Amino acid sequence: MSDGIHDQAVMIGARKTLVGIVTQPVDYEPEDRPVFVILNTGIIHRVGHHRMYVSLARALARLGYQVLRFDLSGIGDSESREDGLSLLDGALADVREVVDWLVRARRARKVILMGLCSGADQALVYGISDKRVCGLVLLDPSIPPTRKYYLRHFLRRLISPKSWLNFLTGRGASWNKVRKLLGLPYDDAWERHRVNLSDPTIRVFLQNAYEQLMDLGIHCLAVFTSGVQHQHNYRRQIFEAFPKITFNNSFRLEYFAGCDHLFTSEADRERLFGIVMEWVRAATFAGQAAAEPTRNRRSIASHRTTCRMRFNRIRRM
Amino acid sequence: MNAFYFGTHERRLWGIYEAARHAKANRAVVLCHPWGAEYIHAYRSMRQLVKMLTANGIHTLRFDYFGTGDSDGSSTAGDLSGWETDIQSAIDELKDTTGATRVSLVGLRLGATLAANVAVRAGSVVNSLVLWDPIVSGAEYLTELRRIARRGSLLLKFAPARTAAEDGGHEILGFRLTEPMASAVRRIDLAALAPTLPHRTLVVVSQSLNSHASLHCALHHRQTPLAIEHIDSPAGWIEWPIHHPLAGTVPVRILQRIVEWLA
Repeated sequence: MSDGIHDQAVMIGARKTLVGIVTQPVDYEPEDRPVFVILNTGIIHRVGHHRMYVSLARALARLGYQVLRFDLSGIGDSESREDGLSLLDGALADVREVVDWLVRARRARKVILMGLCSGADQALVYGISDKRVCGLVLLDPSIPPTRKYYLRHFLRRLISPKSWLNFLTGRGASWNKVRKLLGLPYDDAWERHRVNLSDPTIRVFLQNAYEQLMDLGIHCLAVFTSGVQHQHNYRRQIFEAFPKITFNNSFRLEYFAGCDHLFTSEADRERLFGIVMEWVRAATFAGQAAAEPTRNRRSIASHRTTCRMRFNRIRRM
Repeated sequence: MNAFYFGTHERRLWGIYEAARHAKANRAVVLCHPWGAEYIHAYRSMRQLVKMLTANGIHTLRFDYFGTGDSDGSSTAGDLSGWETDIQSAIDELKDTTGATRVSLVGLRLGATLAANVAVRAGSVVNSLVLWDPIVSGAEYLTELRRIARRGSLLLKFAPARTAAEDGGHEILGFRLTEPMASAVRRIDLAALAPTLPHRTLVVVSQSLNSHASLHCALHHRQTPLAIEHIDSPAGWIEWPIHHPLAGTVPVRILQRIVEWLA
């Protein structure tokens, strides 16, 4: 590439089955700068929707960072795992293999994990388990609903012509719930794919994860869009969902009103890239260098089993 | 599997070569992706097609055109004639890798139309051609793209129109269709190319389009007539919402037909 950066194809893992691209400055020297690792969004391959991860990786490389985009097992060009691990455990094992490889082959000391939707959830769960992770960029991660969420949700539906049309024609989620209660046939497609984030087990799991994130001092940039109205619908929802957590200065929150879940508009993507680059330049990752790869997982391991169903569903954009 | 970059320094292309599991003969296929959001959503189906082809003794090379996917170049750097050159580079790369003297091309949507152009020019080097839901009429394709862009504009408050300084054009589901590219697309007329398509050409579609009438006519009146095969199958290049019955599906029947025809 002519503008001082370079893309390299890599095959990672014990079986060399994880396909990725490393993007870095031509004259890159591993120093204390963390390496970005970008995870898949649902089942979309490493390029990302609208090629957004390619553009972002190259923009970060121009800033002097090394970036790895790769496909988790069974997604894109990476082969499926053969060890029978669940989707979540397989994804976490893949990320560990990739981080190990970056440390071993690329002399990386710290990594920043980044993901959208399912990728954000995987980044969070993995990030609190590995000391080598010093930063997270979470785009539309899962957070539980709050009272204000429900209020805004129902107000929005009250003024939505589509909601009234569904109500008057006997369609939509509300009628499905009525039919389900009455034991009548109903369309369960949406129910099958939607994760109940108000489930107490999941709420506790996520609370523990964010609490550990703060305790460990991992820098986190969380970006929420208004494009996932069934999960979150206002800026401060994460704070009100976890009132016991003190979100300190290592946590930065951004809210993109009028932006869809996939950052489809080029203007939204440019804004996002600008924020990510500003965040990484402003954050100080000192003191995060790795000694041991595995942290004390505290309650994560015990909660993982109960939350497996939630995270094992492949969330597609 | 071998993931690598090939092409020239100025035009580095991402490619993935997958060798046949049990090569009976030196048969090799270059796969040509569609463009834009269709490329993103078809990737999974193309990968599945590769698995089926390699299992049937056929070497494959998939690659990204310049300015798309993992290849070098910005998203506005691509153009149709350049992408046809990229297909030719991929053919040369696959011939070098496998030792094959002739290759087949399989293209989907815009990739099919580009593959058809290359096949006509390449002559006997391309021994068979699969056109999977090809873009037959550029005008029809642009109308479809703009309908999608307008829908996005209404629902998501997008501002898809681009300024002249940005090469004009529109944003189509997150991808820029510049005015020069739109002009090139507008000139696409696959029916006009029909008489010169290779003798061994498979045209397989899952969608009915108005333009199929002219293509059908042109294929029928060839010296060696061809037909359009319609297979009832989901469109592999459309992303369905997660609760849609077709979400995440792969058009298996189409893939099976392509593999059966090539093998």
